[in-house]
Amino acid sequence: MQINEQVIREIILQVLQGMEQPKPTTNTATAAATGRPMTLVEKGEARPGTRADEVVIALAPAFGKYQNKTIVNIPHSDVLREMIAGIEEEGLTARVIRVLRTSDVAFDAHDGTKLSGSGIAIGIQSRGTTVIHQKDLPPLSNLELFSQSPLLDLPAYRAIGRNAAKYAKGESPVPVPTKNDQMARPKFQAKAAVLHIKETEHVIQGAKPVEIEVKFN
Amino acid sequence: MSQEKMIEDMVREVLKSMTKGSAPAAQTVSTAAAQGLNPDRDYPLATKRPELLKSPTGKKLSDITLANVLNGDVKPQDVRIAPETLRMQGEIADGVGRTQFGDNLRRAAELTTIPDDRILQIYNALRPYRSTRAELIAIADELDTKYNAKINAAFVREAAGVYERRNRLRAE
Amino acid sequence: MKKSKRFEVLAARPVNQDGFVKEWPEVGLIAMGSPNDPVPSIKIENGKIVEMDGVARSNFDFIEQFIADYAIDVKIAEKAMAMEASQIAKMLVDVNVSRKEVVDIVRGLTAAKLVAVFNTMNVVEMMMAMQKMRARKIPSNQCHITNVNDNPVLIAADGAEAALRGFDEMETTVAVVRYAPFNALALLIGSQAGRGGTLIQCALEEATELELGMRGITAYAETISVYGTENVFVDGDDTPWSKAFLASAYASRGLKMRFTSGTGSEVQMGYAEGKSMLYLEIRCIMLTRGAGVQGLQNGSVSCIGVPAAVPSGIRAVLAENLCAAMLDMEVASSNDQTFTHSDIRKTARTLMQFLPGTDFICSGYSGVPNYDNMFAGSNWDVDDYDDWNIVQRDLKVDGGLRPALEEEVIAVRNKAAKGLQAVFKELGFPAITDEEVEAATYAHGSKDVPARNVVEDLKAAQELMNRGITGIDIVKALAKTGFTDLAEHILNILKQRISGDYLHTSAILDKNFNVISAVNSRNDYQGPGTGYQISDERWNEIKNISQAINPSDYDA
Repeated sequence: MQINEQVIREIILQVLQGMEQPKPTTNTATAAATGRPMTLVEKGEARPGTRADEVVIALAPAFGKYQNKTIVNIPHSDVLREMIAGIEEEGLTARVIRVLRTSDVAFDAHDGTKLSGSGIAIGIQSRGTTVIHQKDLPPLSNLELFSQSPLLDLPAYRAIGRNAAKYAKGESPVPVPTKNDQMARPKFQAKAAVLHIKETEHVIQGAKPVEIEVKFN
Repeated sequence: MSQEKMIEDMVREVLKSMTKGSAPAAQTVSTAAAQGLNPDRDYPLATKRPELLKSPTGKKLSDITLANVLNGDVKPQDVRIAPETLRMQGEIADGVGRTQFGDNLRRAAELTTIPDDRILQIYNALRPYRSTRAELIAIADELDTKYNAKINAAFVREAAGVYERRNRLRAE
Repeated sequence: MKKSKRFEVLAARPVNQDGFVKEWPEVGLIAMGSPNDPVPSIKIENGKIVEMDGVARSNFDFIEQFIADYAIDVKIAEKAMAMEASQIAKMLVDVNVSRKEVVDIVRGLTAAKLVAVFNTMNVVEMMMAMQKMRARKIPSNQCHITNVNDNPVLIAADGAEAALRGFDEMETTVAVVRYAPFNALALLIGSQAGRGGTLIQCALEEATELELGMRGITAYAETISVYGTENVFVDGDDTPWSKAFLASAYASRGLKMRFTSGTGSEVQMGYAEGKSMLYLEIRCIMLTRGAGVQGLQNGSVSCIGVPAAVPSGIRAVLAENLCAAMLDMEVASSNDQTFTHSDIRKTARTLMQFLPGTDFICSGYSGVPNYDNMFAGSNWDVDDYDDWNIVQRDLKVDGGLRPALEEEVIAVRNKAAKGLQAVFKELGFPAITDEEVEAATYAHGSKDVPARNVVEDLKAAQELMNRGITGIDIVKALAKTGFTDLAEHILNILKQRISGDYLHTSAILDKNFNVISAVNSRNDYQGPGTGYQISDERWNEIKNISQAINPSDYDA
């Protein structure tokens, strides 16, 4: 059946408003959320990179465009800035693309690896779920997966950027410590589903990935 | 090559070299005549009909002892299932009304002679958007002619048709 | 508004930390009875289904085609579909109707018809039906063994304790994928130190999971996920044909396996097509039957937070477990991943499977503290062991576990850790120190054990794969280092793949490595006094908790 987009938007808004506002993560964040806006400029179809010193960050369809914060309300602009900073800290370059054909984080990242000059890509969904992926791995495998989006804070995103860069340099970094909170599911799973449905609405079957220029304002 | 290079690739290489060394000497795929097995009388086969059981290398269950492992008589390829055994277990499955399960075991019987790495490749080729129609048909032909895996060949051909109809083939 | 103190207290209750959502049928955020669920129908021409649940064959998606061609028995379909849903529901709860009679009807039903049957039933009726429809006569239980650091010594010790406590199956997974070979190896050794014959698996990406099984480092597999809509199936990187081929691949190596699915996965992954969670899950169950897989792990599993957030969601979870049993398959009935902050809610949810008994009531119960559970926490963990045992005793229900003494737990934990230490040394992997063995023996969780050099371990784990190490090498290493009984146990597990007896529905192994399955232990429940009865021996085991005082100790 055809669903009226306006109706969906209203319902999502209602659902989200009805849900408990999560407290910010307790971790003593070195990088504070600034919420400084960013501009994502779309530059046409993303092409395979040739530079071995680049790491691709593959955004899911709604990231920073239709949604602007993670499941625990961390602004997407801060998330992206920290990941890029982590990559640059290791002396490598970040290249940002948007994947449109899927909202699945594994395939999103896997598509990124095919365009990455180093073969390493980070995939990230709007709700914050992140994966570090490598070219030639099976799509649903990964180097490091951060499936519990409510537990990811800005230092974690920076560390993810750093580790991705290290993989790109051929190093074997110690994986970013995995956090585990068994109460994340009871609190957040339904909200995660809602956010993912919202992300998936922006999937365009068969669409090519788009090159993104990021401007932090 | 970086240390982080995919485990799977390395395993494939190792498996390839292993199977090269120890490929079971072109076994004639016996189609094991139906044994007339009865679930109540004959199952479990290991305790009730041990005389029917042999590994593909010809070892009996009673040959698989710790002493024989330590003296090198029992090797990894000796603890595998034989196609005849799978067909017998398929009969047991039919006997308790689990016909689809029986069919699965009969498909499995055909796959026993295919090396591990090739099995993994065929599985991956059957995943969505991995193969063209021609590639799937080539796999079906290989199953048919090289391994005499008739049921699986038909199954892969059927998949090729479904993937084509549902746009799940790799775009060329 | 002036605040009520009573509401303030209620707001602070654990249950109010849980997330709840109102139904949203347009996107499938509804457990049962979506207005978009299809109306049951079937048309058969020349032995082929040409219309099913209102969809013409030419419009079948790949799931529908697979179900129509492989799952539904066309010989019985027209007769079965002509029955009223309520009539089938009544057969399910009628003790005078045998399990087989129900199974023979169900094989001719479509997904929409099965949904219609469950829509007429309440949870007590579903539990009555489950008691009869479970495939294996004896219920059982499964656990998770993991930790946040993938510490192999701790995995071995925890596996040993869990096996001793009664779990017939155990499952590990990884925090870091590349640790997988070590987690599997550690659990294999640990499980056999606790109780010979316990079966183990390692949940991983499909192809990698198969490789570990082929090597003989794991004994069975479960993380073979299937989904109820075509889009989500493709996001899961598979099709019914690839998954069915994978099922045969496992069997061709003599390995037991089951599929996994669950309500909520499709809406969680964003493509539920407006259908109810239960309807989509029933498609998964039928697909599994069609693929010829002996069993299924279902009951929402990792998506439990989604059905649990909507009305009648926990009822839908019971319905999906029951449906798998009705299709004559093994059911590993979830009761695993955490879905609530409330102990009351978690218990209520579990009673649905605990009381009637399923093939595996939990799949699994956390055999480690929840902070170490890498399936993101389980509904039940090690801290609940005594609660579980006492509920078994209170109700005289066999939930698969038994009380264990501290000294016997310490002994098997120590043996497992030492066995792994010996194998690591024999195979040249990074040393396990005596201090680590000691810590793992007495630990509650990973906070109590020293850290290992992760980078070195990961290299060695890769080397394990590289060198082509198999189960036979593990047997040799154990035997050479004096762990003869562990070596024998692992060899006996490997031998199962020659006979294939444990490939059958609901198979587990007893301590003498005899197969108990739904072939030689068929559920024959038909009312009071029939079916599984707790033996005197087992009842004594359940009754005998150390917390109970002995009246004779207090004689004057």
